[in-house]
Amino acid sequence: MTLRVLIAALAAGFAHAVTAVTPAPGAPATPVVLAGADLYTVSHGVVPKGELLIVDGRIAALGATVDAPAGAIRIDLAGKRIYPGLIAANSVIGLSEVAAVRATNDFAESGAVTPEVRAESAVNPDTELWPVARANGVLAALVMPGAGSDGVLAGRAALMRPDGWTAEQMTVAAPAGLVLVWPQARAPDWMPQAARDRAEEGARTKRAALDQAMRDARAYAAGKGKGQGVQDLRWEAMLPALERRELVLVHADSSVQIREALAFATREKLRIAIVGGRDAWRFASTLQAAGIPVILGSSHSLPARRGEAYDTVYASAGKLAAAGVTLAIANDGDSMAASNERNLPYQAASYAAYGLGADAALRAITLGPAEILGVAGRLGSLDVGKDATLFVADGDVLEVRTLVERAWIGGREVDLASRHTRLNETYQRKYRGEPKD
Amino acid sequence: MRPSPRRHAWRFVLSLALPATTVAASPTDTVPVEGIADRTPRSAAIINARLVVKPGQVIERGTLVVRDGRIVDVGAKVAVPSDALVVDVGGRSVFAGFIDASSDYAQPRDPEPATPPARGAEADPPVSGARHWNRKVQPELDVAERLRPDAKAATALRDLGFTSVLSVPGKGVLRGQSALVTTAEASRANEILVRPRVAQHVAFEFGTWPSRDYPASLMGAIALVRQTVLDARWQAQRLAWQSRHRDAEAIEANLALEALGPLADGRQTAIFATRDELDIGRSLAIAREFDLSAVLVGSGREYRRVGELADARVPVIVPLDFPEAPAVEDPDRALDVSLAELEHWEWAPFNARVLASAGVPFAFTAAGLKKPQETFWKHVRKAVSSGLDEDHALAALTVQPAAILGVSDRLGTLERGRLAQFVVADADLFRSDRARIHETWIDGRRLPSRGAPADARGRWTLTWHGVDGPRDLEISGEPATQKGKAGDADVAVTVAGDTLTAYLPGRLVGRSSERVALVASLDGDTLSGRVVLDDGGEWRIEGRRADTARAVAAKAVVPPLPGSLGRYPAGEHGVVDAPASRAVVFRHATVWTQEAQGVLEDADVLVEGGRIKAIGRGLGVPSGAVEVDARGKHVTPGLIDAHSHMAVSGGVNESSHSVTSEVRVGDVLDPTDMTLYRQLAGGVTSAHLLHGSANTIGGQAQTIKLRWGGDAQALRFEGAPGTIKFALGENVKQANWGEAFTKRYPQTRMGVQEILVDSFAAAQDYRDRLAAKKGAPVRRDLRLEALAEILEARRYVHVHSYRQDEILGFVRIAQRYRFVPTFQHVLEGYKVADELAALGAGASTFSDWWAYKMEVADAIPYAGALMTRQGVVVSFNSDSDELGRRLNTEAAKAVKYGGLAETEALDLVTRNPAKQLHVESRVGSLAVGKDADLVVWSAHPLSSFAIAEQTWVDGRKRFDRADDLVERARIVRERDRLVAKILPERVKALARGDGERKSDAAAPAPKADHDLVHFAGLRPPYHDSEPVNVCEEEHR
Repeated sequence: MTLRVLIAALAAGFAHAVTAVTPAPGAPATPVVLAGADLYTVSHGVVPKGELLIVDGRIAALGATVDAPAGAIRIDLAGKRIYPGLIAANSVIGLSEVAAVRATNDFAESGAVTPEVRAESAVNPDTELWPVARANGVLAALVMPGAGSDGVLAGRAALMRPDGWTAEQMTVAAPAGLVLVWPQARAPDWMPQAARDRAEEGARTKRAALDQAMRDARAYAAGKGKGQGVQDLRWEAMLPALERRELVLVHADSSVQIREALAFATREKLRIAIVGGRDAWRFASTLQAAGIPVILGSSHSLPARRGEAYDTVYASAGKLAAAGVTLAIANDGDSMAASNERNLPYQAASYAAYGLGADAALRAITLGPAEILGVAGRLGSLDVGKDATLFVADGDVLEVRTLVERAWIGGREVDLASRHTRLNETYQRKYRGEPKD
Repeated sequence: MRPSPRRHAWRFVLSLALPATTVAASPTDTVPVEGIADRTPRSAAIINARLVVKPGQVIERGTLVVRDGRIVDVGAKVAVPSDALVVDVGGRSVFAGFIDASSDYAQPRDPEPATPPARGAEADPPVSGARHWNRKVQPELDVAERLRPDAKAATALRDLGFTSVLSVPGKGVLRGQSALVTTAEASRANEILVRPRVAQHVAFEFGTWPSRDYPASLMGAIALVRQTVLDARWQAQRLAWQSRHRDAEAIEANLALEALGPLADGRQTAIFATRDELDIGRSLAIAREFDLSAVLVGSGREYRRVGELADARVPVIVPLDFPEAPAVEDPDRALDVSLAELEHWEWAPFNARVLASAGVPFAFTAAGLKKPQETFWKHVRKAVSSGLDEDHALAALTVQPAAILGVSDRLGTLERGRLAQFVVADADLFRSDRARIHETWIDGRRLPSRGAPADARGRWTLTWHGVDGPRDLEISGEPATQKGKAGDADVAVTVAGDTLTAYLPGRLVGRSSERVALVASLDGDTLSGRVVLDDGGEWRIEGRRADTARAVAAKAVVPPLPGSLGRYPAGEHGVVDAPASRAVVFRHATVWTQEAQGVLEDADVLVEGGRIKAIGRGLGVPSGAVEVDARGKHVTPGLIDAHSHMAVSGGVNESSHSVTSEVRVGDVLDPTDMTLYRQLAGGVTSAHLLHGSANTIGGQAQTIKLRWGGDAQALRFEGAPGTIKFALGENVKQANWGEAFTKRYPQTRMGVQEILVDSFAAAQDYRDRLAAKKGAPVRRDLRLEALAEILEARRYVHVHSYRQDEILGFVRIAQRYRFVPTFQHVLEGYKVADELAALGAGASTFSDWWAYKMEVADAIPYAGALMTRQGVVVSFNSDSDELGRRLNTEAAKAVKYGGLAETEALDLVTRNPAKQLHVESRVGSLAVGKDADLVVWSAHPLSSFAIAEQTWVDGRKRFDRADDLVERARIVRERDRLVAKILPERVKALARGDGERKSDAAAPAPKADHDLVHFAGLRPPYHDSEPVNVCEEEHR
């Protein structure tokens, strides 16, 4: 274990009250050696034509060759590449199935201040969306509650993996962060004045609700254990964040939002990450100095302003990385994005092409988010002792044409079939002249 | 002391003291006289006047004689009639009365409905009267019939010098007919009406989405104008025919169409209101189409389209609502202000000058000014100090509006025979903020101005009686906060009305008291007053202001224009000169021909005359050809997006009716949309701009080339056949519109099929009637005409579709009516790919979108490959301003999912969409003779790392990453310069409290995205690419 990973792992242990997770069932007892593939470790470069040993669901060894125990199953992967599982660091996968059908949406609770709601409690283990994402190497996701139209403190996120019979079995770490959606007052100046006023008033109301919640939660914390009555679910849920034990995931895109959020975090002495962060590159040195990481939103977004260069968004990750900001690249966290979490590597690739570079881009969808979320001891890279959560591809995972061929989660190989492959096969049969059923 | 010359003016003061109601006892009235008749002589002579007869013609000291409401004599040596009231104006200037050609004066306000109508679900009740079916069409409205003189508003207008205004109807699409009226004091409209029914007023007004009321989009409003003018012409023909065929069925009465007769015949002027610079072209196009005599009411941004206006030789009524200083004080918030907006702040005062230089006739209007009393003249002067010739400014208030309104023989000059409407003002009215309008004359009657508190500023020479006081008093400061100085002593002054009070230090007049008060009345440049002493005595004082004869101000130096007029669009990435079409050769590239020869390594492509001249190795080229070293690069055909909603103004959905085939996306192109440029930077050279999918038969689409830097017309892909959007499924049955939308037919997929059949049946019948060539004149029905074109294979259907049942249903309809559509989205097309192939239909689909609504639950990314293998012509489209920038990697997904060959995959965004748009003879592949639309990529075009380095359209370079980097530096420099220039003004505004907006709204914040879409139609040009042009709300 490298010093860096060790530190990250220690930090994770310190910072997170990770709930006990039911072990994933079915991890094979027999050790497995993945042999002959180029190992893209992320943490320490590429091991060409290397070997990786999986024992008890973890990476037991890796290198040019490994000492495999007798009876280990050897899988020949010559010509392939092995990557650590990708982490989608901002998603509602499992909380939304069909965006347009309200009955299937469970990602935004009612009310301005709902820190008590927990993402893992409503993730549907049988969602059709997960297998689709998993088939392209997305083997973990930070599932975040979102804010409704009047929401600010949305709830608590959970790091989930697409394996397990129940949401409990799928949970890697929970809570994994308190979600704060920073109010946005900006409305285009061509909107009718009444609508713009409403937007401004809405933002004001939310900021006031947030300030009040912070005061109330601190008062609650101060009175805790001093004969207080029945617990308040909301303030109870905020205690770890107030004590800097839990990360606050602050969704903020525009300069004004980020500026306000940074001032808020300083004032309240919170440990935060910026999520979204479309203008975060404008704060690169501030963020670096404050040690605030960024979970950057989709590169596949238009520049927010007419006057911005066409590649403003594409180039932003490179600028943040150059300044030394700890970086994750994610999707946009809405339900439309949840159905296509499989495109996460291409989000990273567009940043890569415009200045971030391929290595840093890969890091930002693997080890970067693992470090930010305090799970670098388990996920994010190919290192001894980490979960054997990884996948095999026939080329550069950042390239669209590359196929992901096999995947393991916690040492267990998972099926890469999905609704899409099944429908494809069904209708191939039609054109071969076979009957429907 | 010399008496003030103005004293003479008061010889006839008594006549003015009469109540207004008895003034107009003209022998031409029919109103019975009550009480004592007014027989005041109706003759007056204005003497000692500087007569500005018309722009460029001044009589320095002359006399103007008016009688019975008309000018009867004017000149330097004119005899004053014996019965005339003589008015000595003391050398002041007399201008012809000013005319505002766009006012709402004297119209009663329609009461606003107590509760605003609920959003859209229900249609308005039918209109009353035998009018047009659409309440936005009310051409029969005659403002002259509704006039009611308004003393307060008239006074305010006269204070600005306006003696006549065109009172225009303010609501609707065909709004009604305006009336030219005077601003005289009057009780009855008869007294003020100069000319009724001056013009018909047209505006592209529409409701917000979603609405059942037509039009709900800009293109709908334009279509409504077009159809209504056609209907007016048809009604006239039909009635004529009917009078010869007494036993034929009579058409129903329609007073609205009747009222449009004069406009349709070109006898009545059409005045178009424009919201922005793009409405200019739209209005001119309608005027040309129907040969209308057109006038435009501008938006203040006419300078950006001055060439187009000059070519059209159409007059413009120009507002003077210059923008306030943009909010640039907070650097983070200033990011939201575009360079285009910053530039407009600088350019706005130059608008009139630019028009004048180009020979565009124009008139000024005070319309649009929030506080015209404070800003109108200030802005006129700003225009003049920005280089507008003073004569042009005067013309814009006199002869030009008179000409536009067809009353040049009655108004606009001081020539003999004109109506006696004129303004007495200081000579430097067009240059100095100290100049004042002293009185106006209408119908030969004098109407003094109220005016602001007198302006006492200047150097006064005082004559003291009874004591030796200070000889000089200098008053300076702002008009509202004037302050004085006598010698080295500060003197507090106040001005109320015409009364000046100055508090002089007692020592200046030898008194021991701290201050003595001088109270004087101001009269022009003289004052007379007294100092009241504590002991009961007084001193008399007279004063005269120096150098304020208010001579014509010396002409200021004409400032340079703020920048290059040719740059278009304004602001970021504007193009100064259209890129040249020259011979160009791309050397040593990997060339993806998308033709039989496949991918050529180390090949050259020669372009000449906008076309591809040769492809091969080591090509010889004409001398002077530009060499582009493309070694290590890939050259592909320009990408084509078969489903886009970029560059569309005023909404993409005419969502009101289920069938709106008459609306045309081509009417509302927005060449300022930055999306065009951003997609060029993604290698896109052509796109198909579709109507949305809110109704079964949407509107006519427009195929464009991404000729960034050109105007709306330049975007059109000339020669591309017409297309039209149809839609099936959830959107058209309003499944996701909310519970309020459950009434419009169809609400089921069953109904969708039937409304399609019904529409084609109607179209067939229409064709038959047109072909009959006998009987009554057939009404040209643009809705059915577009459908008939489908039946004649002159227009191609692009049908939004998802589920296999509806796809198959449409296949059957297409077979029945013998046309070959392209299916859009067609996400379950893979389930009926054999049927699509058999029909020869195209499939334009998403690479991998799914799951966002029920009807896309079975969408799979393998669909593109699967349909291709079944012989369907497949394309991948964007349906998104964002996704359109990376169609190359979308194509790559067909390699990943389904294993298409790489050239087959690239076909999905080049050759195949060209086929679907029926432009494959021009674009879509690199072949000799085809348009030189191509992209130079930094890497393999299907790679995530490929960057479009150059994008060429018609052999012209429309995007170059190297040039882009240079332009970025210019943008930064320009922003810096403008922000530095704006900041002082902005800081002043903030100090006044202008900058902060107070909000008293208490309503909860709406879901922002929903509101954006709701107000999509309001989004102006030069926008921030907010995601409002969505095919269907639930996409994003």
